[in-house]
Amino acid sequence: MKKVKINWSRFYLIAVFILLYLPIFYLIFYSFNAGGTMTRFTGITLEHYQAVFSDKRLIGIVLNTFMLAFLSALIATVIGTFGAMMIYYTRKRNYRNALLSLNNILMVSPDVIIGASFLIFFTFLGLSLGFSSVLLSHVAFSIPIVVLMVLPKLKEMNDSMLDAAHDLGANNWTVIRKVILPSITPGIIAGYFMAFTYSLDDFAVTFFVTGNGFTTLSVEIYSRARQGVSLEINALSALLFLFSMLLVAGYYMISQGNLTKSQKKRRKEHREAVDSL
Amino acid sequence: MKKLQSLLIGVVAIIGLLFIASHQLEKAQGFSGNNTLTIYNWGDYIDPTLLKKFEEETDYKVSYETFDSNEAMFTKIQQGGTAYDITIPSEYMIQKMMKEKMLKPLDYKKIKGMDQIDAKFKNQAFDPNNTYSIPYFWGTLGIIYNDKFINSKDMKEWDDLWQPALKNNVMLVDGAREVLGLSLNSDNHSLNSKNQAELSNAKEKLMTMVPNVKAIVADEIKMYMINEESAAAVSFSGEAAEMLANNQHLHYVIPSQGTNLWFDNMVIPKTVKNSEGAYAFINFMLRPENAAQNAEYIGYSTPNKAAKKLLPKEITQDEQFYPADSVIKNLEVYHDLGPEYLGIYNDLFLEFKMHRK
Repeated sequence: MKKVKINWSRFYLIAVFILLYLPIFYLIFYSFNAGGTMTRFTGITLEHYQAVFSDKRLIGIVLNTFMLAFLSALIATVIGTFGAMMIYYTRKRNYRNALLSLNNILMVSPDVIIGASFLIFFTFLGLSLGFSSVLLSHVAFSIPIVVLMVLPKLKEMNDSMLDAAHDLGANNWTVIRKVILPSITPGIIAGYFMAFTYSLDDFAVTFFVTGNGFTTLSVEIYSRARQGVSLEINALSALLFLFSMLLVAGYYMISQGNLTKSQKKRRKEHREAVDSL
Repeated sequence: MKKLQSLLIGVVAIIGLLFIASHQLEKAQGFSGNNTLTIYNWGDYIDPTLLKKFEEETDYKVSYETFDSNEAMFTKIQQGGTAYDITIPSEYMIQKMMKEKMLKPLDYKKIKGMDQIDAKFKNQAFDPNNTYSIPYFWGTLGIIYNDKFINSKDMKEWDDLWQPALKNNVMLVDGAREVLGLSLNSDNHSLNSKNQAELSNAKEKLMTMVPNVKAIVADEIKMYMINEESAAAVSFSGEAAEMLANNQHLHYVIPSQGTNLWFDNMVIPKTVKNSEGAYAFINFMLRPENAAQNAEYIGYSTPNKAAKKLLPKEITQDEQFYPADSVIKNLEVYHDLGPEYLGIYNDLFLEFKMHRK
């Protein structure tokens, strides 16, 4: 007789996933509640979703939040990628380590402190709070993330490729464009998506620097939740959850599809090279 | 590189689309240049239909922003960077803002309807002659209890919170002045006390309440009490009104030993940009029908006596929320204690919080 073995690692994994996903599904489940509160489920309704779509202010905030996330991640990715290259190609080891540590300190320092210092800084400069101040602060706290995602790819890269390119007469810009950027692309894309999610769910920093009618979703939900979470928020959270699932699926498809394509290409080139010998 | 390029193009396209969409949305709502009135108010503290009505009547567009504590509001306004035209802080914060010269004195030539405000809520110590502020809502601090667990005659004053029957069944609002104040009141001391002995006695007394305290929480009290997680709680009258509306077993008591009378008043901060709009809004909110509608929606007590007449009798005759004048006389308004004594209050409250269980 075959003894049934309990696969503990799988059991553990399932338990963790249940723990993480259950609250979200609980929230989504109640977004359909006709009862109006989270206390008892009385029947299915879509009125909370209707309320979300008819709330112009909320829709505006959602649009602003996503625009902010896409834009700040883009700027941060550009700055962060070149920053990572700069750190990587710094000759002096001590200096490089110092730069890297400074980058890491920004990663671990509490959001509240970053937010408060941004508030003081912006008002000291006389900059009015609003879209620009939020954008600047999001770019600022996203850069270290991008740097951290890009650096390993730079380390993976074969440095002799650069020498070869230089020997063949490429100037610096051509080397960056033709050699470095293609080989660190996965890191850049990962950095972009990380920066995007960071910007999307940041509350602490954003809370300090919003103003003049500009606010983001996390800040808005927080100030509403203080008065008791209405099911409209549940409905909105369900929609956002769906959206993030689509986003993850999209990211998976981009990276997967391209990976196989490039693999195919590489394999083909390899075969051709072998054949021509 | 190709992949990066397509990512870049895609992202830029999305940003462009989002920008156009949000721009269109803003235009559809009519925001433009100088007709915007920026209001900075507590979350969920006005009937949204009133804002719409105001916009239709006056052609001003309201940009409505919210805060969740007096302190957060204070910091934002003090730092500047945003032009708020109207904000609605509580009385001790008004006093502090006056001291910091953050408020503009009101021009009573432009205000209509001030005579509607009940005289007993005017000319308070925190703002003599209402130079800077006009009452918006008022209320009390009291006890909410559930009649399934507590008999009404066992819940009349602060001391009843100490009864052994309530073991692990009392929730307190998370505020140093509120909690120390109720302890001071229960000893018949002023809740603005600056007497060191009275204060340490109040803290010692609170320590003996520890076995009864289930939690020290903020706005979540509302949800917990409606769900009957606790037999009694200490919170504000407006919060209580909402709890009572959702659970018929709940009742609100203004303790006979006296308690806090609080105000949230409309003020015009120094950062004002649209002064005309600010006065228009004040006049709009002073109009009895608007004040009444707002009071019915929010559930707090209105200081507007003409509005009170318009409200349904079962609201205005409810002694829980519109107590008799004799009770009101017994109540105390918070004074700004100054940083030194505020620090002492906070420290004592922290000691109490750390000692529980």
